Amino acid sequence: VLKPVRRPPVPASVTRSANPIDAFIAAQYKTKGLRPAAPADKLTLLRRVYLDLIGIPPSPAEQEAFLKDESPDSYEKVVDRLLASEQHGVRYARHWLDVLRYADADDGMTAAAGIHYWRDWVIHALNRDLPYDQFVRAQLTGYRTTERTQMSATGYRSRVERRTDDLFALGLLARGDSIREGKNTQELPIMAVETVSTAFMGMTVGCAKCHDHMYDPISQHDFYAMKALFDPLVIRKVTLATPEQMMAQSETLDEAQKQRAAAEVPLNALVAPYKKKLYDDRVAMLPADVRAIILKPERARSTAEQKIADDYFPVLRIDAEKIEEVMPPDVLKQYKQFQQAVNQAGGSGGRRGGLPVFSMVEVDRVRELEKSYILTSGDPERPEKDKPVEPGWPFAPSGIDFRDGRIEAFSDWLTAPENPLFARVAVNRLWQWHFGEGLQKTSSDFGNLGGAPSNQPLLDWLASELVARNFSMKQLHRLMVTSDTYKLASQADAGVAAAGMKADPQNQFLWHYRVERLDAETVWDSILSASGNLDATVGGPSFSVGNAGRRGGRTAPSIAAAANRRGAYMLRGYSTNSDVTPQFLQVFDADDGRAPCPMRTQTVTAPQGLFMMNSDEIETASTKFAERLSKESGGDFGAAVDLGYRLTFSRPPSPAERDEALTYIENDPARLKGFAWLLFNLDEFIYVQ
Amino acid sequence: VIKEATKMDLNTIYPCGRVNRRGFLHQFGGGFFGAAMGAVWAQDGKIKDAIYGPHFQPKAKSVIFLFMCGGVSHIDTFDPKDNKWAGKLIDAIGFGDNVAEMRRPVIPILRTFTKYGQSGIPVSDWFPNVGGVIDEFAVVRSMWCNEGNHFPAVIETTTGHRGRQFDHPTLGAWVSYALGTANQNLPTFVNMGRASSPVQLTGGYLGATVSATPFQPGETPIPNLYPPKSSSPAERERQMRVLEEMNREFRERYAINSDIAARSQAYELAARMQLHAPEVVDFSKEPEHVKALYGIGEKETDAFGKQLLLARRLAENHVRFIQICHAGGGNGAWDAHGDMKTHEPLCRAVDKPIAGLIRDLKQRGMLDSTLVVFGSEFGRSPWSQNTTGRDHNPKGYTVLLAGGGVKGGTIHGATDDVGYKAVDHPHYYSDLHATVLHQMGLDYKKMEFNVFGRTMRLVEEGQGPIAEILT
Repeated sequence: VLKPVRRPPVPASVTRSANPIDAFIAAQYKTKGLRPAAPADKLTLLRRVYLDLIGIPPSPAEQEAFLKDESPDSYEKVVDRLLASEQHGVRYARHWLDVLRYADADDGMTAAAGIHYWRDWVIHALNRDLPYDQFVRAQLTGYRTTERTQMSATGYRSRVERRTDDLFALGLLARGDSIREGKNTQELPIMAVETVSTAFMGMTVGCAKCHDHMYDPISQHDFYAMKALFDPLVIRKVTLATPEQMMAQSETLDEAQKQRAAAEVPLNALVAPYKKKLYDDRVAMLPADVRAIILKPERARSTAEQKIADDYFPVLRIDAEKIEEVMPPDVLKQYKQFQQAVNQAGGSGGRRGGLPVFSMVEVDRVRELEKSYILTSGDPERPEKDKPVEPGWPFAPSGIDFRDGRIEAFSDWLTAPENPLFARVAVNRLWQWHFGEGLQKTSSDFGNLGGAPSNQPLLDWLASELVARNFSMKQLHRLMVTSDTYKLASQADAGVAAAGMKADPQNQFLWHYRVERLDAETVWDSILSASGNLDATVGGPSFSVGNAGRRGGRTAPSIAAAANRRGAYMLRGYSTNSDVTPQFLQVFDADDGRAPCPMRTQTVTAPQGLFMMNSDEIETASTKFAERLSKESGGDFGAAVDLGYRLTFSRPPSPAERDEALTYIENDPARLKGFAWLLFNLDEFIYVQ
Repeated sequence: VIKEATKMDLNTIYPCGRVNRRGFLHQFGGGFFGAAMGAVWAQDGKIKDAIYGPHFQPKAKSVIFLFMCGGVSHIDTFDPKDNKWAGKLIDAIGFGDNVAEMRRPVIPILRTFTKYGQSGIPVSDWFPNVGGVIDEFAVVRSMWCNEGNHFPAVIETTTGHRGRQFDHPTLGAWVSYALGTANQNLPTFVNMGRASSPVQLTGGYLGATVSATPFQPGETPIPNLYPPKSSSPAERERQMRVLEEMNREFRERYAINSDIAARSQAYELAARMQLHAPEVVDFSKEPEHVKALYGIGEKETDAFGKQLLLARRLAENHVRFIQICHAGGGNGAWDAHGDMKTHEPLCRAVDKPIAGLIRDLKQRGMLDSTLVVFGSEFGRSPWSQNTTGRDHNPKGYTVLLAGGGVKGGTIHGATDDVGYKAVDHPHYYSDLHATVLHQMGLDYKKMEFNVFGRTMRLVEEGQGPIAEILT
């Protein structure tokens, strides 16, 4: 794992391609006795690279333009345009957020409100090609560079101010904090270790939470040492508003509170005798010693007595429904009226009164002084006091300098160009997202269980290339998707295929391009895109489909109204008592963000078929798609069929397909909707070739 | 220490855990129906995983698991206590998951109990109809679990594990995974009614293919099952034919790709569902006297009665695990903190349908092969929150089992004389899981699954099947 990356020489004279990737791949063909498939045709390649880089298929006009462009760099021009498109960030942010376990809600997650600003930050970072080391550093420390202190002219050192927007990068760490049953679960540091170690180190340190790692040299001590890096973190809620907005909001709040207070006077007066009677009854039922404590004024109670009083609080709590039960009907009527008046007065909302907030993390100086311990079974309430741990991490050098802070020391080590794990894990992910599978198959586990990479020299060369190109992810994307290997067809001639299937049936050595089902978000975007109804606005809160995530509550996510946004913005998360992730995402294998997910399952199931056949979403999309076809074809069915194919499969129909479609339509305009439905349900629609 | 990692399947190891370990599961699109075709293949000797059953001759073919969301008061229903403690303060614990030691007042049981049947098992006046069939039931009065609040307890009692550290599957998912489907046209594991928690439906690390399919009586038993109202059946049929035609070229091109082959199977499966699900939910051929048994047509019992009749029909169609959640949503309506009287309408809603289900299964000769379980996440405390309701009580409560090889007319175990702790033959909830597995022909010790190098089990603790209640 930790073998330093030595830049291997590019194999010579094995290919005519100038792209070193192809040389490494071709060298492997040679040793494995493989022949590659032919290059894919232009339109297949175009759809492939669009779906890959931006997640939206090319428009008919873009298809035409690409076909007409016969210049030698026509494809490279497309790639550069797509990489420059702001939709590229949306597409790749979604990949990263799977790995970094983004969730809009997760069972008491404190950072739920405003967590989408972290997603927006990731999208922007990718779009501006923030170098990978800075991308990671910002999410760990809130600073993208390693310059954290500055020197005054008179020799005083002070902290450099962070870039304002980098506070959103801290969503990665804040996301782990949660309060359940009124208690902080202390999960933030544990989730931080799990996410950070798998995502950036390619190590499954998580197993060592309860026992020494069975397969890798990671001890339980390593896990808790790494956890100690994050132990001092606490959540800080930041209000995101201009000073004017804050002051205006405060005024509104004053006004509402005044009205509310006035409305509450008669209500409280009405309720008081009933409440007192219920309360006194309950106090009378208490054991005598407890009763004595309860009857004391709070300040007269000792600490021990206060604890007893607190324990009995739920017993003495008088809920509104109990009061309503004991009220005579006429009083109850009056009560309801008063209550309505109070509700109308408003002013009960939080003190932030609707201003946007974001939860970031910061180091708590008191917690920083506390010792960290190994926890039995990872339970924060069972520290093993005889096993204190100092901050650290697996493979850390000795004598770490923590003067800049614990996480800072770790992140400097992690993101250093010399760290072989860091670049290898990163380029392998990019490779996986372009080619379907990483060179190292288990992209979050480079340990002993993960097996050997399929092409170690290529992996190392790419890692050194990432460092050499100052961690530019876009340059690596470009390098990969402009390789001949990426441009291969997904099917080969009979002879090549037969030999290939025999020598390498899993296509481990990439003798052809894969055929793969689109992921959930791309299915969604393709449906909306064909029906001309895709809102591709970049950024903003998540939206939901169906009833998922509609339950309110303190930790409810913010939900946008529009339901035709890109799938990347579709709500995801988990709750023990309601559905958060919409059925659509679940059915098409999107993860709910509870665990870091380096690679999604790919299932093919009947509910997917039922969704495509019968759902309201497809019904609406088919209707809109048909209207579009009818309008844009000017009533010419041949043209409508042609356009339909281009909008869904990014290619014109073959003559046979055109005939089949026209035979189905039978010159009946009403059948265009059925035709639209057929296109959505054809296999080709949800596969990339 | 680095151990040799030779036995691991390298395709399996992703910490999100929801990745199917076995390629064949998704390649064959078994999906949906929990078609762990593995079970079939295991019989062919193609795979040898110990989990695939049956491990021995099963007593039951189906389980109908009735889960009362919020917590049924055992002492007001099937575990009577005299009221000698009523009005007194007893040593108790705090509210919800607050385990501080406190003294709290016991409130009286206001029910009257009648001894029913040959067994003379006492049942309260809230369950007269169940009383009428009590000779079919084993009443286990000594269940306990650890968690004292709803969602943690629901997770513990449905998955056998506390907390949410791993994505543990629910009991029905384990059964589906181990036994596979017995009916290619219907799901293997269905859930009716609103559950307390989505966890009750989850396949967890066993995969989405074995999670519960939501099912309901009425026109749309499964989401998206039927074409929208606007489309005509004739037109849809034609579309399906054209779809087949138009898919041909693509499917031939990628004939060797098993995923694409699975697509056509998935659509065929969907079509078979469309055909068979309506037959299952069509009650028109059920005689009136059968519907009356379930209380269908009576206001209070109609909804639950229909679910139970549908449950019987699903069992007839070899659906393996039918879970019915009653009064779910929020903490669950059975959560009677304020006043025990809130139990009354709930008892009325389920009493007659449950008795009807037992009688109906019996008259069809299905009771012997259908295991019916009645329970909830925990019971209720003898004391109150200084109200007329009862708090949560995980330390001692009752579950009922009937059919499927259960010894009817049995009382097993006991709580202390106030109804707080299980004292005689206490059974951790996992023993109930082990019992259900056993009746389905599954050895709980073989219910293991490797996730990420770690062996996960449904049953980690306890004593195994409750032998005393089995024939």
